[in-house]
Amino acid sequence: MSASSVIMDGTAESAKGRRGAVVKTRKRQFGVKTALLLFVVVSLAPYLFMLITSFKTNQQFAENFWQPVFPMHFENFAVAWDQVAPYLWNSIFVSAASIVAILVIASIAGFVLARYRFLGGGVIYGAVLVLMAVPSITSLIPLFVLMRQLGMLNTYLALVIPYTTGGIILGTILIRNFVQGIPQTIFDAARMDGASDLRMYRSIMLPLSLPVLGTIALMTVSSVWNDFFWPLLVISDNSLRTVSVGLQFFQGQNATAWGPLMAGYLIASLPLVILFTFLSKYFLAGVQGGVTGAH
Amino acid sequence: MATVTEVLTTRSNDGRRVKAARRRKPIRWFAYLSLLPLLVLIGLFAYYPAISGVFWSFFDWVPAGDSTFLGFGNYLTMMQDEIWWQSFRNLGVIFVFGIVSWILPLIAAELLISLRSARWQYVIRTLLIIPMAFPGVVTALVWGFFYDPNSGVINKGLEAIGLGALAHNWIGDPDTALLALLFVGFPFIAGLPFLIFYSSLQNIPAEVLEAAELDGVGRVRRFWTIDLPLMASQIRILVFLAVIGTLQYGFIAYLLTKGGPDNATVVPVLRTIDVAFSAADWGYAAALSTALFVITLGFSAFVVFVRRKDTGAADGGEM
Repeated sequence: MSASSVIMDGTAESAKGRRGAVVKTRKRQFGVKTALLLFVVVSLAPYLFMLITSFKTNQQFAENFWQPVFPMHFENFAVAWDQVAPYLWNSIFVSAASIVAILVIASIAGFVLARYRFLGGGVIYGAVLVLMAVPSITSLIPLFVLMRQLGMLNTYLALVIPYTTGGIILGTILIRNFVQGIPQTIFDAARMDGASDLRMYRSIMLPLSLPVLGTIALMTVSSVWNDFFWPLLVISDNSLRTVSVGLQFFQGQNATAWGPLMAGYLIASLPLVILFTFLSKYFLAGVQGGVTGAH
Repeated sequence: MATVTEVLTTRSNDGRRVKAARRRKPIRWFAYLSLLPLLVLIGLFAYYPAISGVFWSFFDWVPAGDSTFLGFGNYLTMMQDEIWWQSFRNLGVIFVFGIVSWILPLIAAELLISLRSARWQYVIRTLLIIPMAFPGVVTALVWGFFYDPNSGVINKGLEAIGLGALAHNWIGDPDTALLALLFVGFPFIAGLPFLIFYSSLQNIPAEVLEAAELDGVGRVRRFWTIDLPLMASQIRILVFLAVIGTLQYGFIAYLLTKGGPDNATVVPVLRTIDVAFSAADWGYAAALSTALFVITLGFSAFVVFVRRKDTGAADGGEM
C-alpha cells in the first residue's frame, strides 16, 4: 500500500514525524501543513499589518495596534494618493521608456550576435559578459560625476539611461542564448522561402522570444521600482522622484500619520504586486534567470 | 539540392550564414551598425565610469576644476580609515547572518516538498513568495515602523504580553542596531534562496526518494546524505550571490539608520556615498569605489577559476 502511494504521487514522504517507520504515513500531514501555515502567517504578517493599519486613524491605532478596527477610513488612501501618485507615474514612465529601449537594442543585438559570425563578434559579446561581473554600485560615483558633467542631473534621462544600459547587458545575453537555441532548420526554411534577415528577425525571432522579452520587461520594472541609491543621488527635484526614493521622502512627511503612511506604501507597491500576481511565472523566471544569466 | 546540402553541412552551431563561400570572419557593416547602440551605451555608461573611477582615484579629484595627482594617497587614507574597516566588519556580520538565515527557507522548502498534494504545494508556495512582490523599500520602511521605540509594533507587542521591560530602542541602540537591520524581512523565505532550494529539491528524481524510503532512510538522514549533496551546485551559486549581495548592502541601512548610531551599521556603500557627497572628497570616494570594484571582480574571478576545476558532478539541481 505504501508502495502504491509512492508511485502515484512521486514523492515518497512520510509526514513530519519521521522515525522511519509507518507512523502517520498516508495521513493528512497535519504537522507539515501546520508548520508551513505558520511560516505563511509570519511571512505575510507585516504586509497584513500594513493593510490593516492603512484604514485607521492615529486614534484608532493607539487604541488597538494590530486588529482591524471599524469604521475604516478610506480617505487615508486619498491623502496618500496625492503624495505618492507622482512617484508612481515617474516610476512607470521610467520603466516604460527603459523597457522599450532595452527590448529594441537587446533583441537586435542578441539576434545579430547569435546568428552571424563577423570580425569582432566574439569580442563584443565578451565585452558584454564581463560587465555582468561588475555590480553597478561600484560605478555609482563616477557615473554621477559623468551625469553632472553632461548636465543631465534631475532629468528623466539620468534615470532611463543607466537602467537601459544595465538592462541591455543581461538582455543581450539572454536573447542571444535564446536565439542560439532556435533550430537552424527554421531559419533555413525561411531562407529558402526568400526571407530577408530583417524578415527573419521580425517574423521568426520576435514571436518565438516573447517569453524572454516578457521576462526582461518584468525584470526591468522590478529593478526600476527597487533601485534606491541611484535615484537618490541623481534626482533632487521631488516631482521627478521614483517610488523607491519618493517613499522615503513621503515617510518624512507623514511620520506621525500612520494610516496614510501605510496607505501610501500599499499604493506604491500595487503595480508590482499586480504584475506579480498575474505574471508570476515570468517574474520568477526573471529572478532565477538573473542567476543563470550571471553564470 | 546541392544548395541544400551545402547549407546543412556548413559549420556547426554558432550562427553561421548560409552562403558557404565566405569562410573566414567577414566584416559585416550591418552587424556593427545594429550593435552600435549597445556599444555606445555600455561604452559610455558602463565602461567609461568604471575606468574613470579607477583613474581619478589616484587624484584629489575636483570634477569641475584642477585635480592634483596623489599617487596612492587616497588608498593610504583608506587603509587608515577606521570607519571603512568598521564597515567591513559589519559586512562580515551581515554575511554570516545571511548564510545562517538560510536555515529557514531550507526548512520551508523541505516541508513544502514533502507535501503530497500538488495543489497545497502550489498554494503555499505562492503565499510564501508574495512578499517578493513588494518593493524592498516598502518592506524596509514597514519594519522600520515596527522598530519605532514608541509606537512600534514590536515594543507594543511586548507590552501587550507583559514583557514591556524588554522594549528597546532597537535601531537607536548601537548594540542592537545591526541585528535589527538584519531581521528586516524575517523569516527570509520570500527570496531567491527559497526558490532555489525548492526548485533543486523538485529536481531530485522521485526514484531516488522512493529508494531511500524503501531502504528505511529517515528524513533527517536523507537530508544530509541525499538532498544536500544534490543541491550542492545550486548552493555554491547562492553563496557566490550572497557575497556579491553583501558587498552591495546598503539601502536598508540608509533608510533606517543612515549608518549609525555611531557607525554601528555603516557599510562600504554608505561610507563611499558619505565621503563623496558630505565630504566632497571625490578622489577618495573614487578610491573606495575602486576598492569595492576590485574586491567584487577578484572574488568573481576566483569563483570562475574554481568552477573551471570543478567536475560538476552530482548535478541534480539544474535550473
